[in-house]
Formats: sequence, structure tokens, C-alpha cells
Amino acid sequence: MLDRESTFADPAIVKLLQTRFIPVAIDQAYQRRQKDNEGKFYQKIANQSPRKVGRGTTQGLYTADASGKLLAFTNNRSPERVQRMIQTALTKHQPVKVAPLAKGTPDARFNPEPPKGGLVVRVTSKVLGGYEEPENEFRRIFQQSLGRDNLWISANEHAALAKGQLPQNLLKRIARFHLVDNTRGEPSMWNDNEIKKLEGTLRNGQLRTTVQLKTAKGDRSYEAELLGHLETKKGKVTRFDVVAKGHFRGEGTYTRNAPKGRFPLAIAFTLADGKDAADTIPPQGSRGWLPGYMR
Amino acid sequence: MKLLLLIPLFFAQTTFGLTEAEFQKLHRELQPNPKVTWRTIPWKTSVLDAQAAAAREGKPIFIWAMDGHPLGCT
Repeated sequence: MLDRESTFADPAIVKLLQTRFIPVAIDQAYQRRQKDNEGKFYQKIANQSPRKVGRGTTQGLYTADASGKLLAFTNNRSPERVQRMIQTALTKHQPVKVAPLAKGTPDARFNPEPPKGGLVVRVTSKVLGGYEEPENEFRRIFQQSLGRDNLWISANEHAALAKGQLPQNLLKRIARFHLVDNTRGEPSMWNDNEIKKLEGTLRNGQLRTTVQLKTAKGDRSYEAELLGHLETKKGKVTRFDVVAKGHFRGEGTYTRNAPKGRFPLAIAFTLADGKDAADTIPPQGSRGWLPGYMR
Repeated sequence: MKLLLLIPLFFAQTTFGLTEAEFQKLHRELQPNPKVTWRTIPWKTSVLDAQAAAAREGKPIFIWAMDGHPLGCT
């Protein structure tokens, strides 16, 4: 979030990445664990940095040549530091003659594919108010940010929606994994027993749902209503536009500095068209256990 | 006449004030801006795809590695 509006909003950095580098964005929680060629290549690079695979996160910014030789690394996000790191990499870089590496057999645990015959739905979230005046620019960025994730819908659920039915499992997946505040980082998801109310209808293409989510301690909750419109054509869903709006309370380990007390949070859903690189990213809630997400 | 009948429906409020008009407004406002600067960078999502392009084009690879996907929730 922060990187998007600071490091990667810097015109000099953006220009260099567009013209002089091959940029790649990854959730390293996958690549540092993958036992396949994708994982091996990333781990080779990460192990040459101060980060080491097997010692927790390998988060950071890396530059490497096509053979996997590390050129420079930083985990500092200031545009000045990143510019220096990029210049170091460009100075050190000597093009090497190597063949593209074979993909091989992907480690199935870390290469979840969107369900065949199913749907990918973009999910975006925004805190609509309640923040205090930000004390610095970084806080301002977080306060204005838009969360982004994808909802995966199975083929069976897709078929049911196309018939005008609203599968309860889908409704539960939306509630547990997508009615979250992910505007400041990785959100805490909801457990089954934290769903206090979940009632939904789909009539004549209009979806209406009421939901109440609350932790046992009461330190995090979301009470919301969903309104949406679905359209179908020849047995396929062609429109899935839904909005959730309600009152959220609390924060997670990685989403600190939420507004105090109850604050308005809106979440929007719309079918992905595959034109955005982020459309290919597995749902955050599926990380580590796709069956648990899809059940 | 039909339009007059639809007007109350358009402004009908739910508990949280989620009217049809607000649904339209929020749905529009919550769409990511494709022109925002960081999106103009041609991010790949696989390091092997990046390696192949780097080998082909003679350029270095730049990896943005985060906890949670950088193009998504982080």
C-alpha cells in the first residue's frame, strides 16, 4: 500500500522500471516455500541478500540478473534509497547469456488456479471516514488507500447463480474472507463461529444480504448490508456488481491504526475481465489452504 | 408514470442507508484507477516469467516481494 503511493509513485523510479528492468511483484510467502523452479530461482536470489530463506519473511526489493545473481537489495521504502539501490544494480549489471528456465512441474500447494468454469470477482474496500487528522504523509496514504483482493466462485456456484440461486457456501465465503478491512495491510479473516448473522436473498437478479460478524472478545466486528445486481446470459453470469456497506470496529495484527470506535467501511465486488495483472492473484483467504477457502 | 413509481425504490433506504443511488456511487468510487502511477509499471507475477524476459532482453530483474501480494492487499 505504502510502496504504491511512495516508492512506485516516484517518476524517476517508475521510468527506470518501465525501461531498464523487468519488474515482477510477488507474495514471497509463496515463493520462499515453493519446491519448484519458480521457488528455487527466487530462493537463490533471496539467499544472497541479508534475508535468508527459512528465517521468516524475505520481504524486500531485490534486483538480479537473468542467471539469478543478486545485484542489490533494500528493505527501505524511501524513494531516495530505492533510487540508489536501482543505480547500484544498473552499474553492476552485465547482461548474461542464459536460456529461459523451464517452468517444470509447479508445486501444487502454492500454485492455486481459479476454478474451471467458475468466476473471478474483483473485491475492493475503502474506509469511508472516522480517521483522525494524519500525523504524517505515510498515515495519510494508508487512510486513503483502496484494499484489493479476488473472490473465487466455483463452477457449481456459478451454475447456481446463473439459475437465480444464492449458494450458502458462497455467501459464507464472502462473509469470512472478503468482508474484511484490508485497506492497511493483510487483514484478519473471520472464523465460522464469528458469523453471528448471515441472511441473503437473490430475487430477479437483485442480491440483498444482512451480515453481522463479531469476534468472541468483541474487539473486532462488522455489521453490514449488501446490495447487488447479477445478470446472466446463456447460463453464464455476465454481471456481478455488489456493494457492502456497514460499520466496522477494530483492527488486525497487520492492519494497525484503524479509526477509533465504529467506522464506515464499504466493499465492492465486480467481475474480473483479466485485463488487470492483479486478476490472476489467488484470494488472500486461500493462502496456504485453498480447500478451506473454497469449501 | 413508470418513472414516478421507480423513484421511491431508488431512494429506499436499508439500515445502513444503502440505497440504489448509493450502491451506484460506491461501486463507481471503489474501482481502482488504472492510470495511477504504480499501475503503469508492467509488473509480471512470476519470477520465472521475469527471468525469461530478462534473458531475452538483457535487462536486470526487479523483484517487489511482500507479505501478501503487492498488487493486492499489502
